[in-house]
Amino acid sequence: MIPFVLFSLRRAWQGFWRNALMSLAATLTMVLMLSLLAGFFVLQNVLLASLSFVEQKVQVEAWIENNATQDQVDALLARVGAMPEVGSVEFVSRDQALQHFREVEAAQGHADLTQALDSNPLYASVNVKLRHPSDLSTVTAALRDDPIVRNVVNIEALVDRVLTVTTVVRTAGVVLVVIVGLIVLFIVVNTIRLAVVARAEEIEIMRLVGASDAFIRWPFVFEGAFVGLMGALITLGLLAAGAEPLSRAMVGFFNVLPLQLGSVGRDTAILVLGTGIGLGVLGSWVSVRTYLIR
Amino acid sequence: MTVLQSPSPSLIARLTGRRAHATRTDQTIVLLRDVTMRYPNGKEALQHVDLVVPEGDFVFLVGPSGAGKSTLMKLLIRDELATHGDVIVDGYDLARIRRRQVPRVRRKIGIVFQDFKLLPRKTVWENVAFALEVTGTPGRQVRPAVERVLAVVGLTGQSTQLPAQLSGGELQRTAIARALVHDPRIIIADEPTGNLDPVISWELIQLLLRINELGVTILMATHDAEVVTALRKRVVALEDGRVIRDETGATYHRED
Repeated sequence: MIPFVLFSLRRAWQGFWRNALMSLAATLTMVLMLSLLAGFFVLQNVLLASLSFVEQKVQVEAWIENNATQDQVDALLARVGAMPEVGSVEFVSRDQALQHFREVEAAQGHADLTQALDSNPLYASVNVKLRHPSDLSTVTAALRDDPIVRNVVNIEALVDRVLTVTTVVRTAGVVLVVIVGLIVLFIVVNTIRLAVVARAEEIEIMRLVGASDAFIRWPFVFEGAFVGLMGALITLGLLAAGAEPLSRAMVGFFNVLPLQLGSVGRDTAILVLGTGIGLGVLGSWVSVRTYLIR
Repeated sequence: MTVLQSPSPSLIARLTGRRAHATRTDQTIVLLRDVTMRYPNGKEALQHVDLVVPEGDFVFLVGPSGAGKSTLMKLLIRDELATHGDVIVDGYDLARIRRRQVPRVRRKIGIVFQDFKLLPRKTVWENVAFALEVTGTPGRQVRPAVERVLAVVGLTGQSTQLPAQLSGGELQRTAIARALVHDPRIIIADEPTGNLDPVISWELIQLLLRINELGVTILMATHDAEVVTALRKRVVALEDGRVIRDETGATYHRED
């Protein structure tokens, strides 16, 4: 078993370098295709992060009766805050609400009309951030049930629209990545097939001198894996080199949208390596099959 | 070319893996019984062919192009399966053996082609060793085996040369060395002299005769009427997929 693996690895290594031109073409195709795939994968992740950022912006506002006691408010906050659908809960007092209103008006350059009022017309409110907008009705119902809640601001139409847009964009993103993935699959498998066909004579001779299927197949499979590995490493090198200037250029954009992209780097590396090696192996396996014993 | 000296009995034993003078005519190496080969396009390349080749025989397979010679050889190495009838090589019924056994049977058959089928980027030595390496022969057995067969075909001095540096005769002798390296019981040669000039052809035939004397059965397809007629060996003539003649000590005149 071990001599066989060593033999296959040695033959794969020889095969790669003795047909340097074909191997180079296959590796280059692999790099281009993996870059394309990685590019779309990163875009898809940025898109998803943007979407969840938008979705987290959805918050439900419940106005509180003016006669509610602090205990009642605390109980409401505790009850709603414990719901699994809820991200965070925040209490805004009447004074805070008024101050916020003034700030917003001032920021828009309007005269402060509240000075003309003899009392604060605003209600205190409980602002609930949802984990996901689709839980809107559950949370709304829970808020409405509470006696100190005067009114829940109706944002159903808005949430529906956000959900429609995010669903469409998400689906489109997945479809796009799948299409790109299929294109990559066909091009890489075809390139490797060309590299194998270029050595049809060698395979023919192996068959005629009585080489078993395993001895014919595995060197090519290892060679395909090697092409995939090389392609993946070059691609990752290019991505790593390109990531720094790219993110610097986009730093302004990312400051505006504080996206959660923590594991994209690792996921991309896994995707590129896995796809590269996987496609290399698949391409060789499928291509060599044609030449094995019928 | 140096005509090979009569080999010592130990060389014969090592080369053939059997006793010296093991030319046992009582044993059949190739048996075709009522073999018909019909290709998917409907062409019948062979029709009801019967052929018995005893071990140690030297058989010329003659006939015009398209008579079925190549098809017959493909059947013997199980590159194709007969549509009808039995093909038995060294006791293996090729229609009944499992796929995994096919390589094992092929190692008992040495194959030589008109176009040599050598790998251009490998030296003479590497081309011969290749046949052993890809069949999983342990490394330490490769060297003595290759040295042995290169000595048999007289190419010891050219072992480090690439095919491009060799003459036609040397190329074909390399191919024969490769065919011999598995100690085959039969060598199947498809027009081995087709690309060689007459003098070189004769040297090659001498080599095959010598190998035959070592106990290896030879089945050689050829167009070379002069060689066939001069040697007076067994001649099997094919025409339109049928055996029209099977005589020992026969002559052959090209009709095509």
